[in-house]
Amino acid sequence: MEKKQKTYIEDIDRGIYDIKNEVRYSYKAEKGLTPEIIKEMSKEKNEPQWMTEFRLHSLEVYHSLDLPPWGPDISEVDMENIITYIRPDTNLNTSWKDVPEDIKETFDRLGIPKAEREALAGVGAQYDSEVVYHSIKQELVDQGVIYTDMETAIHEYEAIVKEYFMKAVPPKDHKFAALHGAVWSGGSFVYVPQGIRVEIPLQSYFRLNAPGAGQFEHTLIVVEKGASLHFIEGCSAPMHSVINLHAGCVELFVKEDATLRYSTIENWSRNMYNLNTKRAIVDKNATIEWVSGSFGSKVSMLYPMSILKGEGARAEFTGITFAAQGQTLDTGTKVIHAAPYTSSNINSKSISKGGGVAVYRGVVKIAENAHHSKSTVTCESLMLDNASKSDTIPVIDIRNDEVDLGHEAKIGRISEEAIFYLMSRGISEEEAKAMIVRGFVEPITKELPLEYAVELNNLINLELEGTIG
Amino acid sequence: MKDILAEINEAPTIQTNRLPVITWRWLKVNEFQLDDFTMEKVLPYNKGCFTAVPSGNIDVKAMAENIHYLEAENYFKNKGNIGVSDTFVKMVDTFYNTGAFIHVKDKIQDPVIISYKPDESNPMIMDKNFIVAEENSEVTVIIDYTSIDNTSALHNGLTKIYAKDGATINLIKLQDLNDTSINLDSNIAYIGENAKANYVSIEVGSDKSVVSYISNLEEEASESNLDSIYLVNGSRTLDMNYIMSHIGKKTLSRINAYGALMGKAKKTFKGTLDFKKGSTLSKASEEEYTILLDKTVKSQAIPLLLCQEDDVEGLHAASAGKIDEDQLFYIMSRGFSEKEAKKLIVESYFTPIIDKIPLSSMREEIQNIMNQRLMDV
Repeated sequence: MEKKQKTYIEDIDRGIYDIKNEVRYSYKAEKGLTPEIIKEMSKEKNEPQWMTEFRLHSLEVYHSLDLPPWGPDISEVDMENIITYIRPDTNLNTSWKDVPEDIKETFDRLGIPKAEREALAGVGAQYDSEVVYHSIKQELVDQGVIYTDMETAIHEYEAIVKEYFMKAVPPKDHKFAALHGAVWSGGSFVYVPQGIRVEIPLQSYFRLNAPGAGQFEHTLIVVEKGASLHFIEGCSAPMHSVINLHAGCVELFVKEDATLRYSTIENWSRNMYNLNTKRAIVDKNATIEWVSGSFGSKVSMLYPMSILKGEGARAEFTGITFAAQGQTLDTGTKVIHAAPYTSSNINSKSISKGGGVAVYRGVVKIAENAHHSKSTVTCESLMLDNASKSDTIPVIDIRNDEVDLGHEAKIGRISEEAIFYLMSRGISEEEAKAMIVRGFVEPITKELPLEYAVELNNLINLELEGTIG
Repeated sequence: MKDILAEINEAPTIQTNRLPVITWRWLKVNEFQLDDFTMEKVLPYNKGCFTAVPSGNIDVKAMAENIHYLEAENYFKNKGNIGVSDTFVKMVDTFYNTGAFIHVKDKIQDPVIISYKPDESNPMIMDKNFIVAEENSEVTVIIDYTSIDNTSALHNGLTKIYAKDGATINLIKLQDLNDTSINLDSNIAYIGENAKANYVSIEVGSDKSVVSYISNLEEEASESNLDSIYLVNGSRTLDMNYIMSHIGKKTLSRINAYGALMGKAKKTFKGTLDFKKGSTLSKASEEEYTILLDKTVKSQAIPLLLCQEDDVEGLHAASAGKIDEDQLFYIMSRGFSEKEAKKLIVESYFTPIIDKIPLSSMREEIQNIMNQRLMDV
């Protein structure tokens, strides 16, 4: 058989993400995980007693749970060799001028200060274990919107934090949720009061610079009745030869009639285990919208979960996963319909190439009382060569009869007919293929804020030669 | 045998029908757990099983120790997972109490009809069936598992299919054991170049029914089609594990499963399309539709799509819902009662598959069973 020429699709250009800084810190925990390290860390952070106790309790839970028997191999993650807490050599700043030069340069290269000036209403920037910069527009402050780092929140808004902290994701949820409860540090706290519509997005950016370290930021967002918010989360790290671990936790509380859009562009380096837990509790007639782009990391296990608790609650999930050589990206979403008239709409796309493994793993569960619920799931996978792997593992679990559920999944190559059609319209073969691959990810890019959409298109560089598939 | 029985009797629960790739434990879909299952020994089944044996170049015999077809035996020996669980497969493979060996050498027009009918004196069916089709031959085998009294029966069956190049094997199975019986049914096929294994599975009985179909599409243009219909009522449970394993190039597979759930029925459908590396230019599709007739039903579907090859096409769709109100209203406007209308709609999903059965008497029998089971709609 004639050997077909394969289209080669370039790796994401990691240039700017891979520049690492010298590690300077004011406090660094010992490697490993003991009650002493945790007490020390809690003391260092000057935390209230209940939080110290919460951490110690979580540590016990961590030791009582096993690693999941399903999914990618994560046996390489050895907590004895992970530094759980590194405080950078700076305090929290409210002006970029006060941020140490090398850290500021890092965020400059990632485009954060520029985005802040042009398109955001507030920015948080975390470097290793602590937030180094936080700001919010005065007009939002005047409306009562709170956007600050978790460390500040735990002191200044202790009652709210205590009410919600790890209530959506309890430590016993899984081993890495427990780990998070024990060693969490940094992250953002957002509180949008009743009826306030935040028109311009807020963004937090998490950067892990130190090798062999873990990042465990906690993001807690409460959107009160009738309010709305768009929150963007970005993450990256430079490449190191030892493994790094990200076990963050995102808890979102979307109250009656409120709307929250939570967008993530994750571009961790290829030595990162990204074992992140995200969950939204959605009340009556409220909406959660997840937009999730997974590009980096060595192994990802990421399944944002929506619990539709109130009547008429809605969840939307739009996700794209791009797995290249050496990557196993096991991603998807979980939706629990726990009230009548709830609806969910899931749209997932994945591309795998060069030996990468892309897995869609999901579940839609419709509880006994969730009558008149609707759910639509669409999964599409594109394999660019046969060294790669792509699995779709959805679970549908229905417990009453008044439901309308549809699930569809497709895997395949780029259709020759589509290429031929475009070529018949005077478009070159290369361009036709590029258009089709871009068209494949378009439903996702159109959900992203403009500058990210542009970035995503740049990330998928096409170098075309011969046919695809 | 002691070892197998000990394994079964000492385990608090027995794991069966494991999902080829497992997922979250809290969903309890990775295995079907058979609780409180014990058995003392394999009881004899002292009835014949052949209802009709066609003439022509075909050997049909009762399964016996001296029957061998080494090529196929070696193939299945090295295949690993071939059924509902290793233990149950080993049990029937070694300690069967009935079964059929069918060796086809030509295109055989009329079907081989086999009936296993448990009763008070024969409450256990451990049938080991072995169907070998030589090159370019063709056969249809119908196997009927039906209770004829109220005895709680145990069926643990294994049907091995070996379709050599160009051969076609059609296997039609009806399971209508009574509502206190347990059904464990393993079906595994080797499918050669341009060969076909086609199944029609009709599942309407048993308190717990655990069914496995595995098709290994080993060679170029191997093909397998599985048409499955099920009706689960009362407080019965059905767990299906269907696997289409695409190994050869240009292989084809299709799964169509339609069913209805009533009362406190529980159904789990696991359908896997697995494109192994090297299965270039293969195509597979899977469609599952469940009609939910009562608010107390539980319906799970796990349609897996596993892929290690780029030049393939795979598609799966699963859906579930109530009977379409407009359709119902339309039929009722023609003078039918709501009950009758619902029955008609459910039956209309099943008819295309029932029509694939070449025997009019069996089609009628199935219609009657469906009617009975749909009484409480």
